[in-house]
Amino acid sequence: MSAGALAAAFTVPVVGALTCSAPVVTRPTLQFGVRVPRERAGAPVIRRERRAYYWRTAAVGVCCTVVAVAVQGYWPSWLIRIILLPELAADLGCFWVARRKIAAVKNADNWFAGLRQTIVTDTSWRSDPPRFPVRWLIPALAVMAATAAVGALRYPGLPAHIVTGSGHRVSKSAVSVLVVAGQLYVTALWSGLMLIIYRSRPDIEAADPAASTLRYRRFLAAFTRALLIMAALADASLLLVALRDWQVYRLSGIGRALPVLPFAAGMLLLAAVAARAGQGGSRLNGNVRGLALATGVDRDDDRLWKAGLLYVNRDDPAVMVGSRFGVGWTFNLGNPVAWLIIAGIVAALAGMAAIGAAAGI
Amino acid sequence: MLLSIEPDGPVPIYQQIRDRIVEAIARGRQPAGSALPAIRQLAVDLGVNFHTVNKGYDLLRQEGLLRLNRKSGAVVRRDAGSGPPDPGWVQDWTGRLRTLLAEAAAQGMPATDIVRECQAAIADFAFPAAVAEAWNRSQGPP
Repeated sequence: MSAGALAAAFTVPVVGALTCSAPVVTRPTLQFGVRVPRERAGAPVIRRERRAYYWRTAAVGVCCTVVAVAVQGYWPSWLIRIILLPELAADLGCFWVARRKIAAVKNADNWFAGLRQTIVTDTSWRSDPPRFPVRWLIPALAVMAATAAVGALRYPGLPAHIVTGSGHRVSKSAVSVLVVAGQLYVTALWSGLMLIIYRSRPDIEAADPAASTLRYRRFLAAFTRALLIMAALADASLLLVALRDWQVYRLSGIGRALPVLPFAAGMLLLAAVAARAGQGGSRLNGNVRGLALATGVDRDDDRLWKAGLLYVNRDDPAVMVGSRFGVGWTFNLGNPVAWLIIAGIVAALAGMAAIGAAAGI
Repeated sequence: MLLSIEPDGPVPIYQQIRDRIVEAIARGRQPAGSALPAIRQLAVDLGVNFHTVNKGYDLLRQEGLLRLNRKSGAVVRRDAGSGPPDPGWVQDWTGRLRTLLAEAAAQGMPATDIVRECQAAIADFAFPAAVAEAWNRSQGPP
């Protein structure tokens, strides 16, 4: 069993677990992409559909994991990764089924009738903005510097072509360029996106604006730190790949999966922070009752979310907004700037893939 | 300052933005000299069009409550302690107030209820100490 195949097989249950648990970390007022008033969050249809979603996605995850494990040794690692596609498609199907049923009951019973739908913002978010934790970038930059230093020392002594961990014989320059480019990409992408998010609007609940603003501040700080640590660990994974390819160390058998470990640890950390905090800090304590009175309920903005997951609002100048399902953020596809950023992300990735393909990796 | 709008309500959004800021100034939450978010930032935070916020801010600028410039952004220009307003403005405001009170009377609201609502609103405002004291004296012992 190769390290690549093992890592690919490991990804299948991880993705299954993350999609299965997504409703737990989502806001109670957002059920499968459907906006509901807080007092309806425990409605029978929601409880029923949540239960059904857990069972369905768990079954999908188990089936896909069984297939991924069963074909170990028979299928190449890239083919095992293909299992992720039907797994994600099936999970998406489970999401849509739940969403459709909840939306049908919501619309039939007119859950928002007679409620004051409001949008609330806290101007202190701009007068006293949260500071991006620049110091937490130091570990990632240190790993990049270490990679460059080791590379500079090892590179002259290497043969023109080296054998990579996956058994390909490629030029040493291609491997070295890809490792450094990969580290730059990961670090710049994640810190860049977080910088955009720091300038985006906070997720403020109309029913409890002051407390939800405080919770969002704590969530943003914790999530950013975890993400920057994950960037450092992803860089460390790439450094381990580089050290292996630069013939600094050699491991066999299951030990060849060593480079995956830092990245997996980073994923675990990020998942733990997301599970603890919930989307926008919705699972954190931090009530400041008395600081501000409830002003109404969150606006029923379902029509701005295509399929419950994609935000498209041409009138909204925001580039990124809080995601509707799970923990994180998503692009406002109605904003041309968002499309430019997406194009830049894809182009950089395609450029690295092209270098890899040209080098025969 | 918490700024709340009802995007699907009968009042235009720019008017709601203007109203909420006027209320915040009257309550002392945005004193003279304090900064408001830039137009683009507030548009992002409310998820509304840039021009909508611009229109609301422009109303406040025309009323002399806000100063807008490229360097310092949007800054509150007047508050309850800034001294008496322009006589022309007072005349205009008195006219609007009369209409508002007439609406209440026309709808059958008792005079005592109208006065009570007015007192409750005024009690919420942040007048300078001397003005507040004079107001409390005029209300008599509780």
